[in-house]
Amino acid sequence: MTLLWLRVAVLLYGIAALAVLPAALYNRPRWRHVAMPCALAAVFFHFVSLTEMLYAAHRALPVDTHETLSMLGLLLGAAFLLLAVKYHTVSFGIFLLPVAALLTLVPAFHPGHETIDYPLIHTGWLMLHVALLLAAYAALLISLIASALYLIQERRLKQKRAVPRRTWLPPLETTDQIALKSLLFGLPCMTAGLLIGSVVALQTIGPTFFADPKVLLSLAMWMVYILMIFIRRHSGLRGRRAVYLSGFVFLIVLAVWAANQLSVVHRFKAP
Amino acid sequence: MNESTQLASLLLVGVNHTTAPLEVRERLAIPPARLADATRSLATQPGIREALILSTCNRVELLTVTDPPPDGNPAAGLDFVQFLNNYLDIPASDIQPHLYTLREREAVRHLFRVASSLDSMVVGEPQILGQVKESWNIAREVGAIRSTETISSTLDPLLQRAFSVAKRVRTETQIGSSSVSIASVAAELARKIFGSLSSKTILLVGAGKMSDLAAKHLIQQGATTLLVSNRTESRAEAIADALRTPTITTGVIPFAQLHEQTHRADIIITSTGLAAMGQAQIFGPEHARALVHRRKNRPVFFIDIAVPRDVDPAVNDIEGCFVYDIDDLQQVTQENRILRGREAEAAETIVEFEADRYGERLIQTPTTEAIKQLQLSAETLREQELARTAQRLAGLSAPLTPEQQSAINDLTRSLTAKLLHPQIAALRSRGETDDPEKR
Repeated sequence: MTLLWLRVAVLLYGIAALAVLPAALYNRPRWRHVAMPCALAAVFFHFVSLTEMLYAAHRALPVDTHETLSMLGLLLGAAFLLLAVKYHTVSFGIFLLPVAALLTLVPAFHPGHETIDYPLIHTGWLMLHVALLLAAYAALLISLIASALYLIQERRLKQKRAVPRRTWLPPLETTDQIALKSLLFGLPCMTAGLLIGSVVALQTIGPTFFADPKVLLSLAMWMVYILMIFIRRHSGLRGRRAVYLSGFVFLIVLAVWAANQLSVVHRFKAP
Repeated sequence: MNESTQLASLLLVGVNHTTAPLEVRERLAIPPARLADATRSLATQPGIREALILSTCNRVELLTVTDPPPDGNPAAGLDFVQFLNNYLDIPASDIQPHLYTLREREAVRHLFRVASSLDSMVVGEPQILGQVKESWNIAREVGAIRSTETISSTLDPLLQRAFSVAKRVRTETQIGSSSVSIASVAAELARKIFGSLSSKTILLVGAGKMSDLAAKHLIQQGATTLLVSNRTESRAEAIADALRTPTITTGVIPFAQLHEQTHRADIIITSTGLAAMGQAQIFGPEHARALVHRRKNRPVFFIDIAVPRDVDPAVNDIEGCFVYDIDDLQQVTQENRILRGREAEAAETIVEFEADRYGERLIQTPTTEAIKQLQLSAETLREQELARTAQRLAGLSAPLTPEQQSAINDLTRSLTAKLLHPQIAALRSRGETDDPEKR
């Protein structure tokens, strides 16, 4: 059943991702009425599937790659709904919904069979560590998308072309608010997530965990993240430079993700 | 004789901005205060069953449902020119050349086009739908349009259909999605930058009709603070006073301190034309850079209405600065008009489709109306007979109890319905045979 719900969620994400295109890009409000219920249903089935999946595995956190991808997809789907309701824009769905669908596609159709042999994965602290970091990644991705949308809208306005009243691009101030609020939401998530992870690793592995490449990259990411928020708050960084900076931090996030392959601390598989 | 010629017909007579010059439209325009009286007066003319008058600055139209002319000639019947002549005291010769007359399906199609703003001077403008609704309300209030529940109302369902067609056009096309006046384009651009304009500050530099209009438009959209700067400070104060309201805060910035205080404004409207007097432009790239720095990169929108320009075009290249001069605004307006034109084609297709659908309904109306007339006659007879019987029974020593009265009432109603059933079924069957779509 778990896989069935996940496949239903993938299908619904796919429909929502397609419906959001005419709704946002061609200003066809009727398609919004397709995209929103589909996205809502997708998030619901995704949540049910993930909960069942973790319950069946007798643990409360996503640990293997597929579960983690699935949870990140769920967070992005939920973030799309939140933005659509709060800012009355479905534009973010152009990017978030396909990403959510893709992140869910692999676990839905090629489920992994990794055997986890790690006693701590049954603790709430590790669950919190993973959930908080995934939320921070999702917030960063949203901030990057918002900054890119800002750039496109800014260029459009500077080119002085016709301005339809209903357009897929939100106003500059709205995208700026979304970008900044996402970052501000992501910072405590990332800080708390890293702190919890560090404490758990210190207790189980000892001080050597600090030499792990993933841990080092994570700390670098956290510092750049703080720097980015500082610059944005103090100089009001917007537009092109904001996109470059968000893009840079996002590259570090990808590097942190990829560093799982080299990490000793983050290997939970049975030998 | 054709059945349809025996029934009421839909007739629309009027003038609009394409058929009559402003001088004629001005004389024909019925002020809102007199509209109810005019509608009542039209509805009481012989041969008129229902009536509605639409009077705006661009059109005066009389929409009526008329009795069939006695000789079957559709050209006969009420002389609308005479009505306008009598009511507005305008010689018939002044009206006649500009008048158009539309009947049945063409009248339906025209009404749908008007309500959908396809027949407006500025295609897609939203006011016309409200004006049609207002005329409909007035006509209903004075009894010139019967409500849908009343037997054989033609205008009420037609108007309601027109409103839903207009809504469909608005929803399915982008006919009203772009602004086509300079002031509204400026406001639209401001919304693209700032989203909501509430709590935004406008700075008016210089004075002029166009800049005043743009400022008023932005205030209507929610801007709450207006600053004015002018070389003549008393003039700036006068403008600030004129635009101050309980919800709008206004202030004056001395012209000499303009650059020090510009950072307070989100939207700057300039119209001084100082460059024409050999002076430098008010805002150059250096000013703009300093301004953006002081605003911590928050965007600023320059609306430069002055000719020659007050803002150096190079300011637009600075990140966070958006400069639109009068030519830019006009160009956007022009592009939006073209956009509306394209959408209008799609809207025309919707209107044609809906007019055809309603036309089919008009074809079926003879059968429906004949059934309604038959039911009405039978009900009148039933009530007369009941009244007569009640008089006869009144002489009895023991009057009928309410239960007995109710039983008699039910009996007569049931008998009438059963007696009418074969005739109504035959009429319906004939209506279906006559319907070309069902043949």
